[in-house]
Amino acid sequence: MAARDIHGPAPPWGDEFRVVGKPTRKLDGLAKATGAAIYTDDIQLPGMLHAKTLRSTQAHARIRSIDTRAARALKGVHGVITGADLPIRYGVIPWTQDENALAVDKVRFIGDPVAAVAAVDEDTANAALKLIRVEYEPLHAYFDPREAAARHDPAIHEGRKEGNVSKHVRLEFGPVDELAAAADVVLEDEYSFHGSTHAPIEPHCAVATCSADGLLTVWSATQITHYVHRALAQVLEHPPQKIRVIQPCLGGAFGGKSDPFSLEFCVAKLAMLTGRPVKMLYTREEVFYAHRGRHPMSLKYRTAAGRDGRITSVDAKILIDGGSYSSFGLVTTYYAGQLLTGPYDFPSYRFDSTRVFTNKPPCGPKRGHGSVQPRFAFEVQLDQLAEKLELDPIELRRRNFQGERTRTVNGQRITSNGFLACLDQVERASGWKSKRGQMPFGRGVGVAGSMYISGTNYPVYPNKMPQAGVQLKVDRSGLVTVFTGGNDIGQGSNSMCAMIVAEELGVPLEHVRVVAADTDLCPVDLGAYSSRVTFMVGNATIDACRKLRSQIVSAVARVWQCAPERVRLMPGVVIDLEDPARSLSTAAAFQCAEEHFDTLGSTGSYNTPTLGGDYRGGTIGASPAYSFTAHVVEASVDTETGRITVHDVWCAHDCGRALNPMLVAGQIEGSVYMGIAEALLEEHRVNRLGLHAGPSLLDYRLPTSVDTPELHALIVESLDPEGPYGAKEAGEGPLHSSIPALSNAIFDAVGIRMKHLPFTPGRVLELLGEKSEREARARGGVETGGRV
Amino acid sequence: MRLLRLRVNGDVVPVAAPSHWTLLEVLRYRLGLTGSKQGCDKGDCGACTVLLDKKPVLSCLTLAALAEGHEVTTIEGLTPAHLRAGGRGADPIQDAFDRCGALQCGFCQPGMMLSARALLAKNPRPTRPEIQAALAGNLCRCTGYTQILEAVELAVAESGGAAVQPADGRRGARGAS
Amino acid sequence: MLRAPKFELATPTSLGEAIALLAEAGPSGMVIAGGTDLMPNLKHELFTPSLVVSLARIPELHGIRRATDGSLVIGAMSSLESIAENALVREQAPALAQAASLIAGPQLRSMGTLGGNVLLDTRCQWYNQTYFWREALGFCLKKDGSKYHVVEGGAKCVAAASNDSAPALMTLDAELGFESAAGRRSVRIEEFWLADGIFNKRHAQGEILVELTIPKTPAGHRGAYGKLRERGSIDFPLLGVAARLDVDDQGTVSRADLVVTALAARPHRVTKAGELLVGTRPGDPQGELAAEFRARLAELARLAHKQCHPLENIPGDAAWRKAMVPVYVRRTFEAAARRAGPVHHL
Repeated sequence: MAARDIHGPAPPWGDEFRVVGKPTRKLDGLAKATGAAIYTDDIQLPGMLHAKTLRSTQAHARIRSIDTRAARALKGVHGVITGADLPIRYGVIPWTQDENALAVDKVRFIGDPVAAVAAVDEDTANAALKLIRVEYEPLHAYFDPREAAARHDPAIHEGRKEGNVSKHVRLEFGPVDELAAAADVVLEDEYSFHGSTHAPIEPHCAVATCSADGLLTVWSATQITHYVHRALAQVLEHPPQKIRVIQPCLGGAFGGKSDPFSLEFCVAKLAMLTGRPVKMLYTREEVFYAHRGRHPMSLKYRTAAGRDGRITSVDAKILIDGGSYSSFGLVTTYYAGQLLTGPYDFPSYRFDSTRVFTNKPPCGPKRGHGSVQPRFAFEVQLDQLAEKLELDPIELRRRNFQGERTRTVNGQRITSNGFLACLDQVERASGWKSKRGQMPFGRGVGVAGSMYISGTNYPVYPNKMPQAGVQLKVDRSGLVTVFTGGNDIGQGSNSMCAMIVAEELGVPLEHVRVVAADTDLCPVDLGAYSSRVTFMVGNATIDACRKLRSQIVSAVARVWQCAPERVRLMPGVVIDLEDPARSLSTAAAFQCAEEHFDTLGSTGSYNTPTLGGDYRGGTIGASPAYSFTAHVVEASVDTETGRITVHDVWCAHDCGRALNPMLVAGQIEGSVYMGIAEALLEEHRVNRLGLHAGPSLLDYRLPTSVDTPELHALIVESLDPEGPYGAKEAGEGPLHSSIPALSNAIFDAVGIRMKHLPFTPGRVLELLGEKSEREARARGGVETGGRV
Repeated sequence: MRLLRLRVNGDVVPVAAPSHWTLLEVLRYRLGLTGSKQGCDKGDCGACTVLLDKKPVLSCLTLAALAEGHEVTTIEGLTPAHLRAGGRGADPIQDAFDRCGALQCGFCQPGMMLSARALLAKNPRPTRPEIQAALAGNLCRCTGYTQILEAVELAVAESGGAAVQPADGRRGARGAS
Repeated sequence: MLRAPKFELATPTSLGEAIALLAEAGPSGMVIAGGTDLMPNLKHELFTPSLVVSLARIPELHGIRRATDGSLVIGAMSSLESIAENALVREQAPALAQAASLIAGPQLRSMGTLGGNVLLDTRCQWYNQTYFWREALGFCLKKDGSKYHVVEGGAKCVAAASNDSAPALMTLDAELGFESAAGRRSVRIEEFWLADGIFNKRHAQGEILVELTIPKTPAGHRGAYGKLRERGSIDFPLLGVAARLDVDDQGTVSRADLVVTALAARPHRVTKAGELLVGTRPGDPQGELAAEFRARLAELARLAHKQCHPLENIPGDAAWRKAMVPVYVRRTFEAAARRAGPVHHL
């Protein structure tokens, strides 16, 4: 890492920030509010065709034949493609490229894309789909990951020596079994986490056009423009210099748009074949098939501790249901273990996680990729430990705090760590001390903690180039344009860049424009995933600003014939610190610099330091900085209906410096909402026939405004030494511990342990029934003088 | 194919569309009013909400021909109407949503803001539960609704000329007009 | 986007014109009222009419009024929102107003009509899906296929009546007034239903539901509706319970009625409600309800539980839906006794 990658948490000018740290409107807020913002499906090009996908009606089958003749003959149909037209495989992780844009030889789940048609309108394309004849030879389909792990014939992906195992990771740090054997308390239990999906309100959409000289332009609702660019070049065998990928305004993603998807290749291919622009918009049902949602996991944890509550050993065994393709699964399998080693310190740790293929829509990275499920299990187990040791669960967590500037048992470097402050905040704000164990039966509070990465030092394809690049262009009017490959997916990364530029260069915020996520115009950024954007793009923006700033300062200093230290860029004006009478407007200063240095502009970049443990996989989960979170949930249980009502959630999140607290609060609230939603209402599952159980927003139930608890976002700022002005991530961490905190609150309310998700009322009633039977038996025992 | 005469945002617009086309399709793909969004195909998410004679309806379930004879208001109509009425800047609901951070991805918000507009037309001083109930047909996946509710409350408070108490110093660009 | 199949649309301005259009179209004609049920069903290709006749512009179908005999006459095209908010309906038919207030979400209530809700198609998780999904399934008994999926080895379609208004209207003795080429017909809603998930109503092709008549309820009428659903908005019922208690001026129940729905193909009346509750005194609506009333109610709840057998027809845990029958029966009657309601988890 170059020195230029670290800028320190201090303001660029003096002791105070002028822009950063204040709640500020978003750059594109009013465009979105007035309906002017252009999303992918809002693009209409002259002569544009509409494309549709034919999907597999079989869960697992060999394709014997595809007959597209009748579809091609239909009036208004301009192009029909099948897997034979796009035979090259892709996948976001270079080592596990097992996807085809359209099925080649085999289909692996109901909904797998098989063929695509481009026609004058959607009705004609749909009519053509019904004319395509596919002959399938059905194969045994796997819906249970245990069966898929045990049985290798038929294999979902042929030719792999691991059979249906997609990835297996086993890592051990320290004397796990010895410390468990020596511990005062050992807890062993099983947990499970169900599948859930992102369900952004905008369905996936892509538009492509190919010019007569072969320039292919693809607009896509993606969060990874750069990887889509690479994948298109690979699959289409088209020179990357002749491909331009643009992400228009994006209607939500949450990890669900961070793979290359079938539709991007299909519209590109169809545009190349037909010479016409082509659009494909997924139906809501197709979004459920594209999936890449939360992996269902079965988890076993054994935690050992001393009487004082200090954890000595953690042992985890995890079975992961991956669905039909690899997607990010290799990383998921690591994350399931690697990201558990904070905010607590424990001297020994082992995890053994296995991801298997099944004939279901493919799982992938959903907000809190890979680590939400283990966090749920572990934080419930910690609550069980506190119960056993008769310790306040917050106190138990405090006792195990790992501290700042330390190293985890698996070799990850921890820099800033505000977890204790998070615990303090939720404890105080929730009134924890007067509530826990003290509210009427049926109402309770629960706590949990977690950590998450701010990007990872491991790009998905190995290279030593910067992970984030930014370019600045300066106009003589005083306007600064930022060019960034970063994907603004609604989290506000463009606004974050603009705020940094305004802070650094002293221009008013409204004099900064951001051009983002266009591969022709913007330097490479790897995309909006793994909570990397603020940290990496933010640092790259500071880097670019400081280069430009030094040019401006030195030009003005030369004109003023003073030391550069005396020149300060203030909002709209450049001043001489020692001679208040002397000043220039920002525009004049820019012009002055342009006179001295020719056309102005600068580039900036960010790359991570070398991080991670010295073992295979040691860099996966290694982040330049970790965010920390604590939740307290207050919930009640209607013991007659089993229904859980979440009243309040307090979430304290250590995001380093909050660059725009309004946006940070929005990320915290949105994360908590999503966590509670998947705990109580949402379930992504296939039925006994392999059909998605409810691929609609009616049957996959997102909470409405009346179903959402009061959310209290508490921002903790442990300034990180390497984050931009000390900032870390805020978009994923705050989801994690909401779910175990809810489980723990239910325990406080009614004394049952919710160890299996989702927390349905039926399951609550079942557990309440078992509990009262146990209690009746115990009472009966006492009365008859029998066993107690 | 029918020739429809729709009244949209105050204008009468003639537009040709097949009988089975919904109002959403005509607005988006015939009139270029793409502010109304398509999220779920069939009336489950509220992103396509428009006002028909000031009442919120789902344009994805409304046949375009059946909107004839009604005044259709889309998200694009709010600020121009506000300006026509002598206002400045953006429509106060749109402005409040922006100032409160209610627009993350922004995709569900046109429908959400129109539901809020319909509520305020009927009930200018709603309580928080009334706001929640009025917005309960609009799904938002980003915000957890908090900043949306705050935005509607801000617009309500300001419409009555009331000074707005910032929830706390960290939240909402309320002063930053 | 998911698209409706092609059809022609007619927008008649009189009832006679609409009836003639439907008579001419025969089985390929369908009626659209608010469209909130039909449009998703069209997009799922559950119906492929060649002509759709809109009732929106027919004045006779609109309006809520009190007839000279005191009965309430509701035009079939009255929006669900207007039913929920109308003062006459709230006073004379509180269970109906409450049920309407809990149907779907705000937009769908301003679009959807009472007539449309009464005539709602039955629902099933194996049926309310896209053409693609149903094709992958191999279709079902109700549409395009011959297979039965709810219970393996079953033989009869058990798609569930999912209209919240139906049980409330049954406790209110509503009459449905239809008009068709054959003339006018009136049917008591009690007799309207069939125990067949494929088509659960005695509703002939070409008949238009014109109005609903609710006989005058006595001064001591109390009614409530309870709805079980997962979310506080949008969702169809997993269980719907309508309760009626008419209390005379001595404070004694003179009539009681209980209808539950969303469990099977038709709404189900628990006939013992009258026998158990008539003659009891619920007690002070503001204070503690009387012990005997509560005991009888508990007995009624037990009985209802025994009589109801929800299946995995609609999405939702059938065992939980069954377990909720007695709870919702009791809570809904308690709400009625207290002049409160609706019973809903929020």
